[in-house]
Amino acid sequence: MKRKNLLQSFSQSRREFLHMSAAIAGSIAASSTMSRSAFAARENELNIYCWEGYNSDKVLDPFRKEFKTNVKAQGLISDPDAVNKLRAGETKVWDIINLNNAWGRRQLFPENLIVPLDQARFKPKWDMVLPEFKWPYYWAMSNDGKNLLGMVQRFGPSGVNVNTDKISRETVQNDGYEIFLADDFKGKYAVLMYDDWVIMHLCMACGFSPFDNLSDAQIATYETAMRKLINNAAFLSDDMNAIALGMVNGSIIGSFPGSTYTVSAARFDGNANLRCVIPKKGPNNKPGVCWMELTSTVNNPELSPRAADFLEYCYRPEVCKNVSFAEGTYNPVTQMGDKRVMALYSKEELDAIQFDTLDEDMALCSDFDIIPNYPKLHEIFATAVRERKA
Amino acid sequence: MSRASDFAAEAPAPLRAIRAPSRLASLGRWFAEPGVVAAAPLALLMLGGFLGPLLLVVVFAFMPGGTFSILQVPTLANFVEIVANSYYLSFLASLWLAALTVVICLVVCYPVAFAMVRVFGRHGSILALLITAPLFVADNLRLMGWVLFLVKGGVVSGSLQTWFGIEVDSMLYTSGATLFGLVYIYLPFMLFPIIMGISMVPEQMREAAFDLGATRFQVLREVDVPLAMPGILIGSLMTFILAAGSLTEARTLGGNAVTMIAMDIQKEFGFAQNWPKGSALAVLMILLAGALAVTALKRIDLDLIFGRK
Repeated sequence: MKRKNLLQSFSQSRREFLHMSAAIAGSIAASSTMSRSAFAARENELNIYCWEGYNSDKVLDPFRKEFKTNVKAQGLISDPDAVNKLRAGETKVWDIINLNNAWGRRQLFPENLIVPLDQARFKPKWDMVLPEFKWPYYWAMSNDGKNLLGMVQRFGPSGVNVNTDKISRETVQNDGYEIFLADDFKGKYAVLMYDDWVIMHLCMACGFSPFDNLSDAQIATYETAMRKLINNAAFLSDDMNAIALGMVNGSIIGSFPGSTYTVSAARFDGNANLRCVIPKKGPNNKPGVCWMELTSTVNNPELSPRAADFLEYCYRPEVCKNVSFAEGTYNPVTQMGDKRVMALYSKEELDAIQFDTLDEDMALCSDFDIIPNYPKLHEIFATAVRERKA
Repeated sequence: MSRASDFAAEAPAPLRAIRAPSRLASLGRWFAEPGVVAAAPLALLMLGGFLGPLLLVVVFAFMPGGTFSILQVPTLANFVEIVANSYYLSFLASLWLAALTVVICLVVCYPVAFAMVRVFGRHGSILALLITAPLFVADNLRLMGWVLFLVKGGVVSGSLQTWFGIEVDSMLYTSGATLFGLVYIYLPFMLFPIIMGISMVPEQMREAAFDLGATRFQVLREVDVPLAMPGILIGSLMTFILAAGSLTEARTLGGNAVTMIAMDIQKEFGFAQNWPKGSALAVLMILLAGALAVTALKRIDLDLIFGRK
């Protein structure tokens, strides 16, 4: 008997082959139709696009089990990137979007990229929040004040981070950002490469708000300061833990910019000398920038019914704590206004998120907002990085 | 114009008339071949999958800055802006570091590959396994491992301090650290093609050279290296292109001491949200890498390597 090769071993006639091919094609077509109808409701599916933390298993696994839902979560790398992905058509992909406060009210809702929440269901949840976030919270509402655009949970002040063994909190508060731009601070700090945050804080360091339209003279001042900031840095990194490690091992003293969450893991690990400090000198006496994340439901044509459930789930006291202390990033949450949530924190955990000075720090911060001159300011920043004299 | 077309142009008119339809007919017959028909859907899918995104990037490169639509009036503004600004620094840094990576990898890999093929015999496969094993771990994780090794107070400086009292500062965040990361990550991409190249050198050829009185150096220069050249060129090309397009090493180990072109491209697509400029940078990089690949591949006989000659 002649040996057959692998392909020849399929000993079908052409007619049998055609029959089988037709049957396979038919079943594939049928299954695709079925899956489309099965997924139409998307009752067991939820896609979340979020900042790190909400995508942790600590937050998502209990939801997956309780709601028997397949949750896919993707961390985002920048707010504008996420906004543009929704603009480019990814509203069909995502159910939940979690961004810094300004985007929902300024761009997502006016551009019909998110849908308002059911106020009857969600308004009572706002009883849990800290006084400064009380209903109707500015960033959670539409411009006309009629629609609830999302729920606010994690928040934090942002200024600079320093090793307080080397330079005191009071010195940084009183001398302001100028310390980082002084010649004798050369090589003693790292720049945390979250581009928009570097830009915002450097504008503050230059004495003007990044949220105003800047004059040519102000932009020229900003450019000079940016080149100095970048050239004098010991290193530039988008890894907050690498920067914290540098402060722990003494190779640097500070980080520009720095937020509570970029240093809270190191603090929780026993390095209480690392601290986020908000300078007192700056425009409008609010030289820091605070961020509040707004979590909204996307204007997905087939929005998962689990999306609203997830937002509600995130307001359960134990989940608030899990969101607050998700892997690798520890933040205050607005629901710390509720005694049940506060009772879940240990003293060490509160120390890690600098709860002792949280009110004072937040009072020194402007709310994060859209930067009108962002393209120009970012170009200057990128050029300074590229032309860096390391 | 090719020689064949020259010949066709010079041929008498009746002959051209006869030849032209026969070519078309043979092309038609080729398209009707069952193999071609069966492969057509997959070929179309591959064309769409590979060329589609590339084409989109090319189209975006000619769109006005800051737009997210490809239906705008085409412009060369992005390229003008790139030339007018300091992006050449990123291109030069990428090309320079990639070239250095190739040279270092060559110097390290050739002796190792030679030993694996000619000296270690069967034990060479154990070494190959050891070199291949790290490839199963993601690049950034391996680089994070090196961060812990090289950072101040890390494995190296901590050990030197504890055992010998020698204080060593961080060895990270320099262009040297970036180069180290590039060599570490892309070394296997140089090693295995060179192993293949050295394996292609017939032992009899070397023995004949020795019998004719050649010294070891002469055998290396006249026999080993020239005959292993296809592997060396493929390894160099792969290493160069991968290193030139890298960004993690410069970011994680280098602390942005140098800006690679891939970092500029990512910045334009990410924080800057200027997809057209990012696309224009990507197109320039693709052209550069493509020109290099074509030049190198012209010198390599792939048929010989794959045993078809």
